[in-house]
Amino acid sequence: MNIYVCIKQVPDTETKIKLNPNQSGIDTTGIKWIVSPYDEFAVEEALRLKEKNPGSTVTVLSAGPSRVIEAIRTALATGADQGIHIEIPETADNHLTAKALAGALKKETQVDLIFTGKEAIDDGASQVSQLVAEYLHLPCVSVVNSIQYGNQTVQCKREIEGGSIEILESSMPVLIAAQKGLNEPRYASLPNILKAKKKEVKSLKLGDIGVSEADQKIRYKNFQLPPPKQAGKKISGDPTAQAKELVRILHAEAKVV
Amino acid sequence: MTWQAIVFLFVSSLAFGYSGYRFSLLLKMMSRQQGKALRLDRIPERIITTIANVLGQRAVLEKKAAGMMHATIFWGFLVITIGTVEQFVTTVYPPAHFEFIGPIAYSVLVWIQDIFTLAVLLAVSYACYRRYILRPEGLGKSKDAAIVLTLTGSLMVSILLMNGFRILGESPWWMEMMPISHRIASFLGRWGFSPELCLNLSTFFKWVHMLIVLGFSVYIPSSKHLHILAAGPNTFFKTLDREKGMKPINFENESVQQYGASKITDMSWKDTLDLYSCTECGRCQDLCPAYNTQKPLTPKMLILDLKSNLYRNQDKILAGKYDEVSSVIDTQVTDDVIWSCTSCRACEIACPVFIEHTDKIYDIRRNLVMMESRFPAEVQPVFKNMENNATPWAFSSADRANWAEGLSIQTMAQNPEIDVLLWVGCAGSYDDRNKKVLRAFASLLKKAGVKFAILGTEEKCTGDPARRIGNEYLYQTLAKDNIEVLNKYQVKKIVTACPHCFNTIKNEYKDFGGNYEVFHHSEFIAKLITEGKIKPTKTVEETVTFHDSCYLGRWNNIYDQPRSVLKSLPAINLVEMKSHHDQSLCCGAGGGRMWMEETLGKRINVARTEQALASNASIVASSCPFCMTMITDGVKTQEMQDKVKVMDIAELIDQATPS
Ligand code: SF4
Ligand code: SF4
Repeated sequence: MNIYVCIKQVPDTETKIKLNPNQSGIDTTGIKWIVSPYDEFAVEEALRLKEKNPGSTVTVLSAGPSRVIEAIRTALATGADQGIHIEIPETADNHLTAKALAGALKKETQVDLIFTGKEAIDDGASQVSQLVAEYLHLPCVSVVNSIQYGNQTVQCKREIEGGSIEILESSMPVLIAAQKGLNEPRYASLPNILKAKKKEVKSLKLGDIGVSEADQKIRYKNFQLPPPKQAGKKISGDPTAQAKELVRILHAEAKVV
Repeated sequence: MTWQAIVFLFVSSLAFGYSGYRFSLLLKMMSRQQGKALRLDRIPERIITTIANVLGQRAVLEKKAAGMMHATIFWGFLVITIGTVEQFVTTVYPPAHFEFIGPIAYSVLVWIQDIFTLAVLLAVSYACYRRYILRPEGLGKSKDAAIVLTLTGSLMVSILLMNGFRILGESPWWMEMMPISHRIASFLGRWGFSPELCLNLSTFFKWVHMLIVLGFSVYIPSSKHLHILAAGPNTFFKTLDREKGMKPINFENESVQQYGASKITDMSWKDTLDLYSCTECGRCQDLCPAYNTQKPLTPKMLILDLKSNLYRNQDKILAGKYDEVSSVIDTQVTDDVIWSCTSCRACEIACPVFIEHTDKIYDIRRNLVMMESRFPAEVQPVFKNMENNATPWAFSSADRANWAEGLSIQTMAQNPEIDVLLWVGCAGSYDDRNKKVLRAFASLLKKAGVKFAILGTEEKCTGDPARRIGNEYLYQTLAKDNIEVLNKYQVKKIVTACPHCFNTIKNEYKDFGGNYEVFHHSEFIAKLITEGKIKPTKTVEETVTFHDSCYLGRWNNIYDQPRSVLKSLPAINLVEMKSHHDQSLCCGAGGGRMWMEETLGKRINVARTEQALASNASIVASSCPFCMTMITDGVKTQEMQDKVKVMDIAELIDQATPS
């Protein structure tokens, strides 16, 4: 089985985000980059599937500036077999990213399954997985927290509104976007970390896969940080007075009612 | 040649041949171990230590009654063995009597032997009384012990009967020097046996004695009495310093494929010698916090289980079939056993034969973590945080120096002209309670006029939690980063309020090129007080008890400095808990347990807090951020937070010191 995982490199969850001087993006200096946590579920699922189906290979793809190779190496250290890096600019949007990933996947001889995270934790857009499936004309199931593998089919469970569970069946190949709960990602063992340094990471340019920067649909103009958190306000007085004051604040200050 | 000589030579060559063969197998197994341990430095010191502890029985005598009992049997064994050798020699060749050493020396020798025969008999009786009537928990049940006590007792009785009958039969001049045997003779004399019969009976008991001795030699290699031979060398090769760092792994060496111990053969020959040396005395278990709170770990059983693992694999080891050797983790040594250890080192300090339990536990953890990624699930985010943010907790490294806001403390980058670097540590940087401790300590340093700085956001976790949990690779990454920064600023002196940071920077960073003079804040404050730079004047009319941190006390032998710091507080009433100094009970946080759930048995911090509350102190003084957290939690669990405060020694001194 040829299993593919698309991952994104994002700033660590504890990072204090700062903007660059002209506010056209975030200031990347000193950022500790990690594999987006939902993508870790995707990698883990691929590895478990591979372990159950000897002879399978797991290939990890990531599109981005050259720093994302480090994220690919992290995934290789957990046991993935090889990596593909597609060079796109820091300022790429979801469309260009998805085109790049789909372009690289099209060049592969046989794709049986693609895993991604349900969203990246930096922009939280939840776009790329569906777009990749679309560009590849493949079915896509997103926000999946349990998968049963059949012969050339998969049965996916996803939680929907109201706590119900939706069960979807799809033929393979299919793109599955992982939700938390799908599995517990492993911690890379040292022999695998050391081996990962020697595993192959193929590098592709947009030109190699017939995509161009003109495929970008969104250009970012300006970034702003959310206003700093204000100290809480304590409303005192008897319950009636408190309720009145609360309504006044919501109306006059917060302007939400 | 007499019939006696012929029979003796035959029987003894069988016995010694068999035991010699068994010993050679044991030695061979030791030499087949794959792990490294080379301890041939500081020979004179090793000799002195060995003499003090083997001949002098120093460590054994740490326990009064049981120690005296053992020492008596041991010393008796030494002098009586001289007699036994004489017996063997004269049986083969009668003229080779030891009388040649001169009448006076020989008289003294037989007198001592005679006295010790009785003394050993009394000691054996006490041992039986202790084992079968008092029954201390640590001893447990032991078939070996029953056999050996019976044999030792019989040996002494056979000597007395042999001598008693001989006195009645012929009584050579030197037997006058045997007061005990004379008493026995006069007792035996009542039956009025003929001198000839008496001589025959004496010969009979001589044979009983010799056969028991030979039986002993056959029995020793497979029993706990192997310690008779192993404990001496084990003492000689022991880690000499109290401050021992964990042995580093060289990850550059590509020929190494196995990190840590997955099999008994991955350990070193010294670990095997440790296993051979165990006397099953249970002293380690008596003090183990894990055992005492019903965790599955007992250091004594760990050693015995590893020993049986070794013996189970004997054939494969001797045949060099390492691949077939079974895992060190089995039904006895389970994952839970290995994760229960707080690395408090109480076991090692208590062990009379210097067995190093923690080395083995760490070695097994290293394999589980680095080779198998197998550890309690809650540890994974800890590793990730350390990798990504250089702290075990989920905080940003950018916020590391926030605790110092408003205190106008300079960083090394701002001002490298300092007396000492203040190493803050992760708890001091991020934990709200411990931030206050750091602020108090910084305030004290200012009051004393000490020029200091911090690394600020350039400081990283020392890596200690990763190392104790078994992630040596992550530890070395962090340690090397820190050493690079410290060396960049040419730091010479470091002070820290965290015993874990203290221990690893002081004792372990030197393996990676970090050599500094490192002080724990208790030492530093004690020094400032002696030098008169800090004068606590405000009276503290409280009863205070000091909780020893394992990494300060047992790992670094610092017991007095924090106490002397506390005693400098006017009007303080310093009391000790039930266990203190090197017998102290761990708070439960060491060995990475700070970051693991404690689901088995009673909580260790609660057990320790109960001791603290029983001391009736109104303040529990701590000198470690993790102890602070654990005891504070313990006090809350007991709902005593309104009556009992947990404070760091720096806070107490700072409060009492005017600016
Ligand atoms: S180090 Fe402490 S917790 Fe670990 S086995 Fe020894 S006594 Fe028990
Ligand atoms: S390890 Fe040491 S303290 Fe523990 S039972 Fe064995 S000899 Fe005694």
